[in-house]
Amino acid sequence: FTVVTDTVCITPPGKPKLTSCRSPEKETFTCWWQPGYDGGLPTTYALYYSLENSATVYECPDYRTAGNNSCFFNKNDTNIWVNYNITVVATNRLGSSYSDPVDVDVVYIVQPYTPENVTVLVKEDEQVPYLRVSWEKPRNADTGSGWITLVYQLRVKLKSQDEWEEHDARQQKSFNIFSPHSGGTMVQVRCKPDHGLWSEWSATAYVQVPDYIPRERSMWIV
Amino acid sequence: CVAVSSEALGMTDLLERVSQISDNLHSLSTSLSNDLNTHFHPIGKIMMRPSMCHTSSLQTPTDKDQALRVPESELLSLVRSLLLAWSDPLAVLLTEAPNLVHPEKSLIYSKTKELQEHSNTLGAGLEHLVHKMGHSSQDISSVPFNNDLGNDKNSRLTNFHFLLSCFRRDSHKIDSFLKVLRCRAAKLRPEMC
Repeated sequence: FTVVTDTVCITPPGKPKLTSCRSPEKETFTCWWQPGYDGGLPTTYALYYSLENSATVYECPDYRTAGNNSCFFNKNDTNIWVNYNITVVATNRLGSSYSDPVDVDVVYIVQPYTPENVTVLVKEDEQVPYLRVSWEKPRNADTGSGWITLVYQLRVKLKSQDEWEEHDARQQKSFNIFSPHSGGTMVQVRCKPDHGLWSEWSATAYVQVPDYIPRERSMWIV
Repeated sequence: CVAVSSEALGMTDLLERVSQISDNLHSLSTSLSNDLNTHFHPIGKIMMRPSMCHTSSLQTPTDKDQALRVPESELLSLVRSLLLAWSDPLAVLLTEAPNLVHPEKSLIYSKTKELQEHSNTLGAGLEHLVHKMGHSSQDISSVPFNNDLGNDKNSRLTNFHFLLSCFRRDSHKIDSFLKVLRCRAAKLRPEMC
C-alpha cells in the first residue's frame, strides 16, 4: 500500500540487486549490491547467505571493510568449491524487498589486483636498443605455494599513437621487446589466475626509446 | 647431492607436465559447460545442488590453509581418487552426447571425447608420478556412480548438464592440488612459482 504525504510518496523499498562478487587471491571475497528505490524512507540493507550443503542462513560477517553496499568475507568465512547462495534484503518502515538470489563459487570469481613495480629499461644488444620490461606479482597473491597461478600480459604503445601492441608473458615476470619504435613509449601489465578474470591494467611505465637505424631483424619474443 | 636433485628435478618436470594437462582439462570442461549453457535453461527443471555430485563423499580441503597442510602422498591419492571417480561417468557422457536434445551436440560430443582423452593421459602421468615417488598405488578410494541419466530426453539433458558441472568443479580441484604439489617440488627452482 502507499501512504501519500504532502508531496513525497513513501513506499516499501525497491528491489536491491547483487551486482558482483570478486576474490583477489582465492582466500577472501567481497560482494557488492546496488540499492533499489529507498521508498522515500530511511532504508537498511542486509546480506544473507547459505552454503550448498546446509540450510543454515548466515548474515554478512563484515559490512565495513569493503565500503558502502558491500559484504567482505575474510579467510575464515571463505570456502572454495562450495556454492554460496546469496541474497540482499532492503528494509524500511513500510516493508522489505529481496534481491534475486545469486549462486557463487569463489573459484570462478578470482580477479587479482594489478601487477606491481612495473619498470621498463632501454637496453642495447650490439648497438640496437630493446626494451626490458619487468614487474612483480600483486602483493597478496600467494603464488609461491602454488595456491594461485598467475599468467601475465603486457601492452606497449607510443604516446603519440592509439594502438596498443599486446604480448603474452605467460608466468614470467619479465619480457624483452625487440625492434621497439623510437619515441615516448608507454607500457602496462595485467595478470589473471589460470582459471579466472583479468586484473585491471597496471599503472603506466614510461620510457624514451632513442632513434636508431633498425637492422633487418625479425621480431622474436623471449 | 646431485642424485637427489636430479631425481627431484625429474619430479618437478613430471609435476609440471601433469599440471599442464590438468590445466587444459579444466579449461576444456569450462568451455564445454559454456557450449552446453548456450541452449540450456534450468528454469523449471529441478536445479541439482552440487553437494549431490557423486564425488561429494570424497572429503577435500576447502581453503588454502587446509590444502597446504595436506601431506604430498595424501594430496596425490586424493587427486587420483577424484580422477578415477570420473572414468565411468565420462564414458556415460560420451555415449549420451550424440543423443542430446541440443543443437551443439556434435561439438559437445567431440569435446567430451577430448575430455576423456585428457583425463586418460593425466591418469597415466599420475601413475608414472606415483611410481617415481615410490608411493603405494593402492591408496585410492573408489566412489559409487549411478549411471542412469533418466528416461526422458529432457531429464537426460539436465543430468548431463549436472554431471558436467560436477566434473568442472572436480577438475578444478585436481588442477589446484597438482599445482600446489608442483610448487612444493619446485623448491629447487624458485622462479617456477
